[in-house]
Amino acid sequence: MATISSAVGEDQPPQPSLTFTRPVFAKLSPHPYLLHTLSPSDPSVPSSRTNGRKPQEARKIQINTSSLSQAHGSALVRTGDTTVICGVRGEILPVSSIPQFRADQHKNYNYDGEDKRIEQGKKELLEYDLLVPNIELATGCAPQFLPGVPPTTLAQTVSTRVYSLLHSAGIVDVEGLRVWYTPAKRDEDKMEEDDREEEELEPEVKGYWVLYIDLLFVSFDGNPFDAAWTAVMAALRDTKLPNARWDPDREMVVCEKGEGKRLDVRGLPVACSAAVFLEKEHAEDREGDRHWILLDPDRQEEGLCKEVITAVVDCSGGQGETKIRSLEKQGGTVLGRELIRGFVGVAEERWKEVAAEMPQ
Amino acid sequence: MTDRRRINGPAGTTIPPIFEDTSNKEDANSVKGRTRAPDAVRKMFLRTGVTPTASGSAYLEYESSAKSGVSGIKLSCTVHGPRSLPRSSPFSPHIVLSTHVKYAPFATKQRRGYLRDPSERDLGTHLETALRGAIIADRWPKSGVDIIISVIEGDQDRASSGPQSDETWDMMNVLSGCITVASAALADAGIDCVDTVAGGVAALVQGPSEDTPPSVVVDPIPSEHERILGACCIAYLPTRDEVTNLWFKGDLPASEMDLYTKLVENGILASASASKVLVDCLKDALA
Repeated sequence: MATISSAVGEDQPPQPSLTFTRPVFAKLSPHPYLLHTLSPSDPSVPSSRTNGRKPQEARKIQINTSSLSQAHGSALVRTGDTTVICGVRGEILPVSSIPQFRADQHKNYNYDGEDKRIEQGKKELLEYDLLVPNIELATGCAPQFLPGVPPTTLAQTVSTRVYSLLHSAGIVDVEGLRVWYTPAKRDEDKMEEDDREEEELEPEVKGYWVLYIDLLFVSFDGNPFDAAWTAVMAALRDTKLPNARWDPDREMVVCEKGEGKRLDVRGLPVACSAAVFLEKEHAEDREGDRHWILLDPDRQEEGLCKEVITAVVDCSGGQGETKIRSLEKQGGTVLGRELIRGFVGVAEERWKEVAAEMPQ
Repeated sequence: MTDRRRINGPAGTTIPPIFEDTSNKEDANSVKGRTRAPDAVRKMFLRTGVTPTASGSAYLEYESSAKSGVSGIKLSCTVHGPRSLPRSSPFSPHIVLSTHVKYAPFATKQRRGYLRDPSERDLGTHLETALRGAIIADRWPKSGVDIIISVIEGDQDRASSGPQSDETWDMMNVLSGCITVASAALADAGIDCVDTVAGGVAALVQGPSEDTPPSVVVDPIPSEHERILGACCIAYLPTRDEVTNLWFKGDLPASEMDLYTKLVENGILASASASKVLVDCLKDALA
């Protein structure tokens, strides 16, 4: 052990004896190796991770949009070696195939306040299940994700987290998904039933767009949720749905060809995850134990850390105001109130980086 | 029964958007017809090492055609292995190939489900045959290799509401791309092959009017031609001059043997040009 750790500490000329090169050692015994690079014996050497990043340094993010022609909106997000493609596709859900459709539900909220309207819209999205995110990891994006098996726990968890965040953060305005129809005034109606005419001319909702949000991991190197969420946001902001109208003669929704209308997306929440790395790998007693918060962990670091925190913040409101959209923490007991509050500050910094890369 | 491990969306069936029939207006400004020479393939972009976590990987993209709304093929391939077979599997003196082709849900005009459908299995089988002829299989006894291809985008016209038969010809083009990209990924993974196998497609197409005789073209795009009568996809080893897989589809008169030979020759021509791209890409990766 002594020879091994001395070989890791400083760059010595390779010895023919039982010493390993750095990558070999990092693979054989990742926990001590990461601990060693995080707390170098020489104080002049800055603390860094196996991948060369500082503990609170995230990977550079790169976002491309509109690269797919079959989808209505698409994005490719790359952070380090994690690459994810997101395609958004709209399909029509006619009102007649919604089992419990209440036509009066969205009638009168123009008279209510804006907040009430948003709340109503959120309820409508959830009730009719208009957003359908799914994550596919089984593309061979990492050796543990091979196709031909049912979705792994991780894929299911990430899908569900994206689903609940989409609904709770109220990203999509339901108004953009409705297909309205105003019945035309007909002469015979006028003659026969004068009093019912007014009621018939009320515009009514004939259908909804359902957004299928499909995410495909091309390459996987840790932190799937942040990358997936950024891809969902970029793809939704890129989405253009065709102009749809109800055709009363054919009794179906038809769309116009050509450039559609851009989907209305509210706010820009950005997810920021970090893992907590503990000094002792297996110890029960954590008192006085040192720990490091590793921002944007990669695949190897995720394997070494049990405690993970994700904060979703939105600073797009202006006036330096930060809205916390979601705060999730799993496993471990290190992160308390103070540390979580500090972490939100880190997430704000990350928001600035991602927002700068996000295409307008 | 619904798959409860995925998010399925609303209970009622959703309908893909149906567009108004405005074909009269559309015909005036659409580019109908082939802009390339009959023996020219589309430009393609190939790169290895897109998935660093896999043993080998490659990405292939075809240039989209001049007409807007027609996409070029985009394929991503990962190779995992060679690795030991699970203990339960029987002894194998050769490497065990398993190929897997899956369309992304957003790859085609109709949204695809997450479960593999028969056409995807078919593509996987053809791909396996094509690669088996190229890999030196007895160098790795008792081991297996997984070749996984995700079709990020197929070769379809989004705007056209044409017949479904487009899809069968699209499959041909996808298969030829799959063969080329898998070959690059295998080379990236360092699996020994006798040669780099590359795919190519040739088709017999109907001329612009009914009375012109059908002609043979390479790398056909269904939307560029009036009608495709038959097509063949070839996997070809250029230095050994061998064909490892030949797939023929369509209706051709049985009497004209020359036509078959001509199609195969053109298919080989197409794979030879794909092979040039493949070799250049692998050389670049080494440099």
